[in-house]
Amino acid sequence: MCCRGGRRAMGVVLVWGMMLGGTPAQVNPNSLWLNSRGMWLSYACGVLVLHLALLSFPFLSVATVWTLTNVIHNLVMFVFLHVLKGTPWESGDQGKVRKLTHWEQIDDGIQFTSTRKFLTVVPIILFFLTSFYTKYDSFHFVVNFIALLLVLLPKLPQFHCVRLFGINKY
Amino acid sequence: MGPDGGCAGDYCPIVDAITLIDGTNGLNGSHKCVQQSNGSINRQELANSMNGKSKRQLNGQNGRQIYISDRKEEPPLYLEILCYISYAVLIIFGYLRDFLRKIRLEKTRGAVESHREGYVPLYQSFESFFTRNIYRRVCDGCNRPITCVPGAEIDVMDRVTNDYNWTFEYPGTTTRAINMGSYNYLGFAENEGTNVDRVEGVLHKYGVGVGATRHELGTIDIQRELELRLAQFLGVESSIVFGMGFATNSTNIPTLASKGCLIISDEYNHASIILGSKKSGASVAVFKHNDMKDLERKIRDNIINGQENSHRAWKKIIIIVEGIYSMEGTIINLPEIIKLKLKYRCYVYLDEAHSIGAIGRRGRGVSDYFGCDPKDIDLWMGTFTKSFGAAGGYIAGRKQLIDYIAVHSQSATYATSIAPCIAQQIMSVINVIMGVDGTHDGQMRIARLSRNARYFRRRLKQLGFVVYGNDDSPVVPIMICFCSKISAVVRTAFTKGIGTVGAAFPATPLTTGRVRFCVSASHTKEMLDKALRVMDEIGDQVAIKYSKQPKSCEKIIY
Repeated sequence: MCCRGGRRAMGVVLVWGMMLGGTPAQVNPNSLWLNSRGMWLSYACGVLVLHLALLSFPFLSVATVWTLTNVIHNLVMFVFLHVLKGTPWESGDQGKVRKLTHWEQIDDGIQFTSTRKFLTVVPIILFFLTSFYTKYDSFHFVVNFIALLLVLLPKLPQFHCVRLFGINKY
Repeated sequence: MGPDGGCAGDYCPIVDAITLIDGTNGLNGSHKCVQQSNGSINRQELANSMNGKSKRQLNGQNGRQIYISDRKEEPPLYLEILCYISYAVLIIFGYLRDFLRKIRLEKTRGAVESHREGYVPLYQSFESFFTRNIYRRVCDGCNRPITCVPGAEIDVMDRVTNDYNWTFEYPGTTTRAINMGSYNYLGFAENEGTNVDRVEGVLHKYGVGVGATRHELGTIDIQRELELRLAQFLGVESSIVFGMGFATNSTNIPTLASKGCLIISDEYNHASIILGSKKSGASVAVFKHNDMKDLERKIRDNIINGQENSHRAWKKIIIIVEGIYSMEGTIINLPEIIKLKLKYRCYVYLDEAHSIGAIGRRGRGVSDYFGCDPKDIDLWMGTFTKSFGAAGGYIAGRKQLIDYIAVHSQSATYATSIAPCIAQQIMSVINVIMGVDGTHDGQMRIARLSRNARYFRRRLKQLGFVVYGNDDSPVVPIMICFCSKISAVVRTAFTKGIGTVGAAFPATPLTTGRVRFCVSASHTKEMLDKALRVMDEIGDQVAIKYSKQPKSCEKIIY
C-alpha cells in the first residue's frame, strides 16, 4: 500500500510509500511472505545450491558434505527463525511483535498451517537423506540428530513464546 | 458529450467502457448510450453476476450483457524466484555492511544516541535494518519536494547526494516533469480561474483559520451550505464534512461501531479504515479483495457463529469497502455488495476517496458508474483531496445517521472544522461538476478523464506491461516485481520528464512491487503519448514487459 499520508493534501508527489504511515496495521508482512507463491521452491533451490557449493570442495567426503549441509542449514534456520526477534522494519502496530521470533510470527501465531508444516518437514527430510548418504555412521548420526533436535524443538506448539532460562527474552 | 448527456459524435468514452457481447458499441442506431437507454441497471438482473478470473458479466436491463474486465495477471514463477534471490542478496549485503559498521570499518551514518548509558535504547537496531540497507539505496525517489501547484506538470526541486542517499544537497534548480503521481483526477489543482477567485473572495471575508470545533463556535454558514450542496450532489439526504480525510475514517468508525459489532473489511482497505476499526473495539473480519463469494462466506459464518465466546448475535454488521483501491486500481463490485447487504441485512460503509468525481457518467462516483441508487448504501464517505483539489472528508447518508454523527463524532467534538476557503473551493468544484455554474466544463473534464484513463491503460497493455485494475479506473499500477527495477524506473522516468510513484515490500506483497500512474483530466494526449514513449523505452531497457497476454495490434484511437 502506498503512502497513505497522501490523504491530507496534494503536495507530496514522488513517494516510495513504504511504511510511511502505510504498513497495513492489521497484518504483519512478516507473517505472510513465507506463504508467497514460489517461496517453497526457492527455499528448496537454496538448500540445493548450498549442497552443490559444499560438494565442490574436493577434500571433503560425501558423508562430510551431507553432514555439513544438514548442520549449516539447521543453524541458519535456527538463527533466522528462532533467534532473531521482531521485524526488520518499524511495524505499524506499536511493536506488538517485537518480542516474537519469526517462527512465532508466521501466520500470526496460528499453528499447523501449511508453511509451518513445510518448514518442519524440510529438516526431517534433510536428516533422512543425510543419514542415508553417511551410511548411518554413529558420529555423523549423533551430530545430525542434535542439529535436528535444535531446529525441531522450538517448532513445537508447546514451545510457542517460551524462552528457556530467560535466554533471548527481550 | 452534449449538455443533455447525449453523445455528440460517434465516440462515446463512457460507452466504450462497456464492451458489449454482440460486438456493437451500444449506440444501437438511436445514438443513445447503453447507460442512458437502460436507465439504472435493474438490481435483480445483476444477481447473475459471475466472478470469473478475467471478466465479469452483468445483465443489463434489455438482457444485453455487459462485461467488466478486471484481469489480474500474476507474474511468471521464474520471476518470483529471481525476486526472492534479489531480496536474499540485498539482505546478505545488509548483514555484511552492518557487520562492517559494527567493527568500525565503515562509518555509521545513522543517528546514534549519545550519553545514554544505562537507558533502554530508543530504537532497536534490527528494526531499522530495512530502512538502513534497502530503503536507503532507493530513497532518492521518495519525499521529493515540489515548488508549484500539483497540476498536469510539476517543478520538482533537484537534489544531489554525495554519500549514497544519506544526505541531500539542494543546488536550487528545479526540473519540470509530467505529474503522474498526484491524485489530481479532474484537474482542479489550479492556481488561477474562477474557483480560485471565489476562494480569494471568501478568504477576504472569513480569513484563513476557523478557530474552533464544530460543537463550539466553529460551524460556519459556508460549511452548512457545502453540506447541503454535497448531499444534493450525491443524491442522499444529508452530509457532514470534516477537516481531514484520514481523520474522517479514524474518528467516525468508532462512533458507528463498538464492542459487540462486527466489521467486515476488504483485504486491501486503507490504513485509516483499519485504524478506525481497531479503535472502535469491534471485531474485524477480513475478506479477500473484491471476492464476493469470500465475503458471502464470511458473512454467513459470522452470522451463524455469533460473537466470539458468548455466541450471541452481533449488534450490527458493517461491511467496509472502498470505491477505487488506490494500490490496485480495481473498482468495487457494488451491485453484488448491495445484493448481499439486502440479503443478510448488513450495513455498508463505502469509502469513495478515490472514486468520487473520478468515475461515473456524471462524476458522482461508484454508484453513478454502476447506475445504482445511492440510497441503497447506508454510509457514503469520501475525501476532497483527490478530485476536488481541496482537503478534508465527508460522510453522507440518511439524516438521522448524520445527525447522530454530528453529535457524537470525535472529529466534530475535538477537531477544528474545515476552513471556509477550502469549503468554498469544494463547493465551486461541485457546482462545476454538476453543471450548475452554467458551463459544460464539468462534463468535459469527466469525459476527458475517462478517455485519458482508458487510452493510457490500453496503450500500456498493448506495450506489454502487466497492468492491474479495472479498465475504467484512473489509477494505473504496473507490476514491476523487483525493488531494484522499481527504483530504476522511477529514476529514469524522472530524468526523462515523467514523475511517478513506486511501492514495494513491506507495503505491498513481497513479489508485487509496482509503479503507479495517476491519470488526470488535465493531461493532454501529447503528455500521455510522451509518458507512453518513455515507458516503452524504459520497459525495454529494464525488461519489465512481463505480460503474456496476446497483444492486440489494432491502433488505439484516443
